[in-house]
Amino acid sequence: MAKHADLSIDFLGFKCENPFFLSSSPVGSSYEMCAKFLDAGGGGVFYKTLTTTIPEECSPRFDAPRKEATPFISFKNMEQTSDKPYQDNLDMMKKLKEDYPNKLIIGSIMGMDEDNWEQMARDYTALGLDMLELNFSCPQMTYEGMGSDVGASVELIDKYVKAARRGSHLPLIAKMTPNIEKMEIPARAAIKAGAQAISTINTIKAITGMDFDNFTCLPVVNGKSSISGISGKATKPIALRFITNMAQDPELQDIPLSGIGGIETWEDAAEFLMVGASNVQFTTSVMQYGYRIVEDMISGLSIYLAEKGFDKLEDFVGIALKNIIPADDIVRDFKIQPKIDYDKCVGCGRCYISCMDGAHQAIEWDEEERKPTILEDKCVGCQLCLLVCPVYDCITPGKILFKEEDQFGKGSNTEWKEDAVNKHDVIVGKYDRP
Amino acid sequence: MSNSNNVGIKEGISLKPSQGYLEETVPPFTPFLAIEEASRCLLCYNPLCSEGCPADTNPGDFIRAIRFRNLKGAAEIIRSNNILGGVCARICPYEKTCEAACARSGIDKPIQIGRLQRFITDYEKTTNFQALDPPKATKEKVAMIGSGPASLSAAATLAMKGYPVTIFEEKEKAGGVLSYGIVPARLPQYVVDEEIEYVTNLGVEIKLNTRVGRDISLDEIRKQGYKAILIGAGMQISKTLDVPGKKLKGVTTAVEYLAKARSKDANFNAGKHVVVIGGGDVALDCATTARLKDAESVTVLYRRTREEAPANRQELEYTESLGINFAFTLSPAVFEGENGKLTVVRANGTRSKSAMELEADTVVFAIGQQPEDFSKVIEGIGFDKNNFITSLENGTTNIPDIFVAGDIDQDSIKTVVNSVQGGKIAAQSIEEYLTKGGK
Repeated sequence: MAKHADLSIDFLGFKCENPFFLSSSPVGSSYEMCAKFLDAGGGGVFYKTLTTTIPEECSPRFDAPRKEATPFISFKNMEQTSDKPYQDNLDMMKKLKEDYPNKLIIGSIMGMDEDNWEQMARDYTALGLDMLELNFSCPQMTYEGMGSDVGASVELIDKYVKAARRGSHLPLIAKMTPNIEKMEIPARAAIKAGAQAISTINTIKAITGMDFDNFTCLPVVNGKSSISGISGKATKPIALRFITNMAQDPELQDIPLSGIGGIETWEDAAEFLMVGASNVQFTTSVMQYGYRIVEDMISGLSIYLAEKGFDKLEDFVGIALKNIIPADDIVRDFKIQPKIDYDKCVGCGRCYISCMDGAHQAIEWDEEERKPTILEDKCVGCQLCLLVCPVYDCITPGKILFKEEDQFGKGSNTEWKEDAVNKHDVIVGKYDRP
Repeated sequence: MSNSNNVGIKEGISLKPSQGYLEETVPPFTPFLAIEEASRCLLCYNPLCSEGCPADTNPGDFIRAIRFRNLKGAAEIIRSNNILGGVCARICPYEKTCEAACARSGIDKPIQIGRLQRFITDYEKTTNFQALDPPKATKEKVAMIGSGPASLSAAATLAMKGYPVTIFEEKEKAGGVLSYGIVPARLPQYVVDEEIEYVTNLGVEIKLNTRVGRDISLDEIRKQGYKAILIGAGMQISKTLDVPGKKLKGVTTAVEYLAKARSKDANFNAGKHVVVIGGGDVALDCATTARLKDAESVTVLYRRTREEAPANRQELEYTESLGINFAFTLSPAVFEGENGKLTVVRANGTRSKSAMELEADTVVFAIGQQPEDFSKVIEGIGFDKNNFITSLENGTTNIPDIFVAGDIDQDSIKTVVNSVQGGKIAAQSIEEYLTKGGK
């Protein structure tokens, strides 16, 4: 057996077995479903959000757009809160906590008004749950004053967090909406009103695609459709930036974050941890592949952390934050020229096409030999060629050229040299090559 | 019946293939699989696959069209260049043409270009999309002899330019080699019929059961106002070897054997122990036919080695998977019989002193074909000693209004895809000839 790092981590005083949780969604909408995930190794569940009245649902209610052969590039859903009776859900959550005392069991609330928020918080607290998540962010609720409209309003957040606090002594996690430019503002309001942590992102308001016969968006519900929330892999970059923004926000610095958005592998999860999330939640990947995916998350992350020498998962959380800096501060005095391994090159010419049509016309094409050659004087080191090359490790970062010191900032006439006066060490990345 | 790619032998002693005679061996792509396969394509700059097609099909363009979900555009790319796109998609020797040139081979294996082409031509059919819209046929009348791939291709090319075309076909079914000379496992009849219908939908007329030289003479054709005549009669005669005993009952030829199997499907007798002589695709088609028509043992005798055999590799492997025996570097020496019926084939090594004795009630010669003698039908035409017509440049002959294309053309490469191209080129020559006023 390989060495595996311990993945246990604290979240608001609860010692979690690992940082992998179901997010509040259909995948955690009954006792059996949650139990199955916990039995597969999951660290905890955010139970499906309840409302005290059951919403009406539509059919169909999902879309999963493809890119080439890959389905579920993102995932659109039009579901609302739980479709089961309120009391049944309360009973199931209570039983879950009784049967899984060492797993983190969190209930998710969406109230209609202050009284309702307070009452639900009180009902949940009586179940023995560990914490409460306040859902301020579901974009497809059909009732006014509920859902993602709340997450965009500092006033509503303030009112509802306070209401929930009146009903419960448990830690409160505010689930924020990404349908907003600066999440720090409502997040600060939630913390100020009495929440202890932030979870995000909820789904992004979107249209995934159109129906070419019915002329509406997908999915088609009796010839019509609606804008609603998307999740899945395509949302991960947006989620990572929101988590990073909050983790770097001086007013939110010590606030625990729970990361959500497009997580399906241990690498996705590790990315959220690196930018400051103490744990992660996921749904879409489970809808597509089942609870078993948590096994590879646990295995993959623990092997990686052991190899990197991390004793505690806490040490890994936020480790990238110091390296994500304002664009102004990026060093711009060198360029890394790509290098082509001609033994690997299959002569497809994709690097040539992309450089000609999408970059700096710095690749020459020998039609006879079907061979690309990089023109050093024209190449700016953008590495687009490396990214489009279909052959693994055929184009890699090569020679590093530096600006001559006396020509700093002179723009296009700059001279580039391998042994310029200001030559320095350069750390080179390798993109996402496994 | 299974429709799987790895056709196996049913367990037990019956040793019957699990595939039916009329069942197509390679399953079709679904749209998702086609797009997945197209997304494997490297989308090369000036792709070499597009230089690899004898009929000038441009896989680089149609695969890119599939990748960018322009499926009907892909159909237009294929069909506007090759009227027999669905046929060629199934029987082309891709491994020697487009797929041999595929850059993806440098990473793993080539794109399945033929299968993608088949998907697109099927898609065109299932969506009732008409990629070609011919103009009114108002120009000079053109006649063609034989309705095989060369004539069909030439006819479609000319129809798209406004020429009324009539094809004279001696048999009861159009298509020539496509309808009579290939096993349905590789080329189902419905595909042939659909593509012939495609051609007739462009306005081309096919007169069946009309043999030029018997039912109508060349002069009569000219008198009826046809200003140019294309000979696309193919190769109707199987070559044989002078082996003692070749007159025995049970000794037959590929042309006869395949045609009988296809036309009289129900009462065709494949033979119990079949020996096929030859190493090309036609030999494999005969062997496959025998096997799928319940012959107990089938042996292919070929005078050279497996590596030297001209047959398509995939077909060779498929044939082997059916439990067909191959004996390489062997040539038939004598056929023995009882009461005039074949019973034994003796073969000798071509590169050794080996000898082989095979029980056989059927021997099929599949060592090549040649055309029928056209010297009396078209007087004055130049032809060689094997009845091939001597072509001048681009399908022209020594007679100004007579053109030639396909296998009967002395200079042609004898494959369907080359005949398609030959038909296109001859059509161009016919157009030039007619545009100049028939001089």
